[in-house]
Amino acid sequence: MSYIEFRGICKSYDGVNQVLKNIDLNIEKGELVTLLGPSGCGKSTLLRSLAGLEEISSGKIILDGEDITNLPVQKRGIGMVFQQYSLFQNMNVEDNIAFGLKIAKVDKLVISDKVKRAIEMVDLVGKEKSYPSQLSGGQQQRVAIARAIVMEPKVLLLDEPLSAIDAKLRRELQEKIKHVQKKLKITTIFVTHDQDEAMIMSDRIHLMNQGIIEQSGRPVDLYTHPVSKFAAEFIGHYNILDKRKLNILLPFEKFDDGFYAIRPETVHIQSEPIMDDGMYVFEATVENVISRGNVLRYTLRCGDVCFTSEVLFRSFALFEEGQKVCVGIEPHNVLPIRD
Amino acid sequence: MKTKTHVWDVIILLLIAAFLILPLALTFFYSVFTQWTDILPTGFTLSFYAGIFSDGAFINSLLRSIIISFVPVVICTISILLVLYVITLYVPKMEKYIEILCNIPYAIQGVILAAGVISLYSGKPGFLSNRIFLLVGAYCIIILPYVFRGLKNTIGALNVQCVIEAAQVLGCSKFHAFFSIVIPQMKRGIVSTMMLAFTMLFADFVVVNMIAGSSFRTAGIYLYQTMSKSGQTSSAIIVILFITTLIISTLTMIIQNKQTVKGRKS
Repeated sequence: MSYIEFRGICKSYDGVNQVLKNIDLNIEKGELVTLLGPSGCGKSTLLRSLAGLEEISSGKIILDGEDITNLPVQKRGIGMVFQQYSLFQNMNVEDNIAFGLKIAKVDKLVISDKVKRAIEMVDLVGKEKSYPSQLSGGQQQRVAIARAIVMEPKVLLLDEPLSAIDAKLRRELQEKIKHVQKKLKITTIFVTHDQDEAMIMSDRIHLMNQGIIEQSGRPVDLYTHPVSKFAAEFIGHYNILDKRKLNILLPFEKFDDGFYAIRPETVHIQSEPIMDDGMYVFEATVENVISRGNVLRYTLRCGDVCFTSEVLFRSFALFEEGQKVCVGIEPHNVLPIRD
Repeated sequence: MKTKTHVWDVIILLLIAAFLILPLALTFFYSVFTQWTDILPTGFTLSFYAGIFSDGAFINSLLRSIIISFVPVVICTISILLVLYVITLYVPKMEKYIEILCNIPYAIQGVILAAGVISLYSGKPGFLSNRIFLLVGAYCIIILPYVFRGLKNTIGALNVQCVIEAAQVLGCSKFHAFFSIVIPQMKRGIVSTMMLAFTMLFADFVVVNMIAGSSFRTAGIYLYQTMSKSGQTSSAIIVILFITTLIISTLTMIIQNKQTVKGRKS
């Protein structure tokens, strides 16, 4: 039995359109899992259902062996961090963090001790008496994290907690969250629409699309073996080609009907002919070059087929627009996927 | 970027300031001189003020005005806060209907309201026909749209749903969260709204005169009765009423600011 079990979860707001479609999902104790997906795919609804902030239409939620489906939100023992911080503006950092413990009528000395430790854990020492309005976005979110972990919840839920924070600070907070999670060994569910963030943060990723779990697995597995067109496009900016397009590139190879995914970084390009019998080799023209910092993204054309190749930015390997290049793809990198 | 101030802007501001301040200044001057039959007044005196303050009836009427303005404001504010609690957290769809209901008093003039209240309730048994109760009720109706609008705007600026959810996850009930987290955050808005409503009622004469008349002599009634006797005395009363309102609002602001600063320092 898993620590958290979602069994046949369905949710509809209007009785017609289903936001969650019969979701079955297991999460193990101590894991940091991510619910990843585009806006409106149901990831936040699933998270809020676990917290008790959304009522599910049907199904069961089991936490630590207990059926919590109908348990009020206050009694679920769950900590949650929201996208908008949701700090109590009339209270200082210390009072915000102590709020839940005071509600639980914990002894004052214990509260003081726990709050102090939580503040230290999120590096907010010296800010105890500051009000939320006096803190930066990152600091506010750290208060929200401290407020959640100080309650020693069974599960920590993070609902897109970093999406309102700038890129540099986001990286710092990603590390901080991971550090806190590993240190406290709290089972954590992280919701995001950012695939890079999901890759960095998670032990496991559950990719959601239109109310269903599209694919689950370790980040590396999801990245290297997407099972569907959606997963391939969402996770790795894959080139998605059907049989017709593949036959234009490789007229002498035989492919089954359906779609194939090719990661851009597995598409090798060079100006000289590629002498490797184990590779699919063909010619293409560079149509466009985009620099993404350390990576160059080439858009290549062969007949009416466009696809991309990504290479590490090295000063000696630049191709210009209009230049003819030789392309090589290892057959195992052409992955059959479902529509 | 520095904005250039034009001469015309200053002139317009001065004209508006003069328009607002001049009547009050003239009323004040009229109240401290015995005669004003020429261009300049003559015979400086504070005897009109001395006379007013030595008359216990004025002090009583002033206190009555303060109380009869304050009580409906408190009742209305608490009622609207409870309504906002319900519609924000339980039935958001009802908000537009509540808003329409609360806006109806905008269209009702004081005279009509007073006449309606009297014709409906006078002669009814028990407390319903009590003039003070009727006055408090009528005042609650008058200030209802202003209090609702003020509080709704204040609550609208907060992310109530999210804050309540955060508190719930921490083990707090919705009701407790609303009154211990949301209301304190609305403090400034609540005080401003209450001050606006208070000053509206404090200045009322029409409704109190029609509903309570001489049986509940407020400062407005006292002023009305004095007007036929002495122009200078009534001017002095107007100045005193203005200063009273000013003191109340200034004190409220000072207390509010002190609390904020104290909170920040602590």
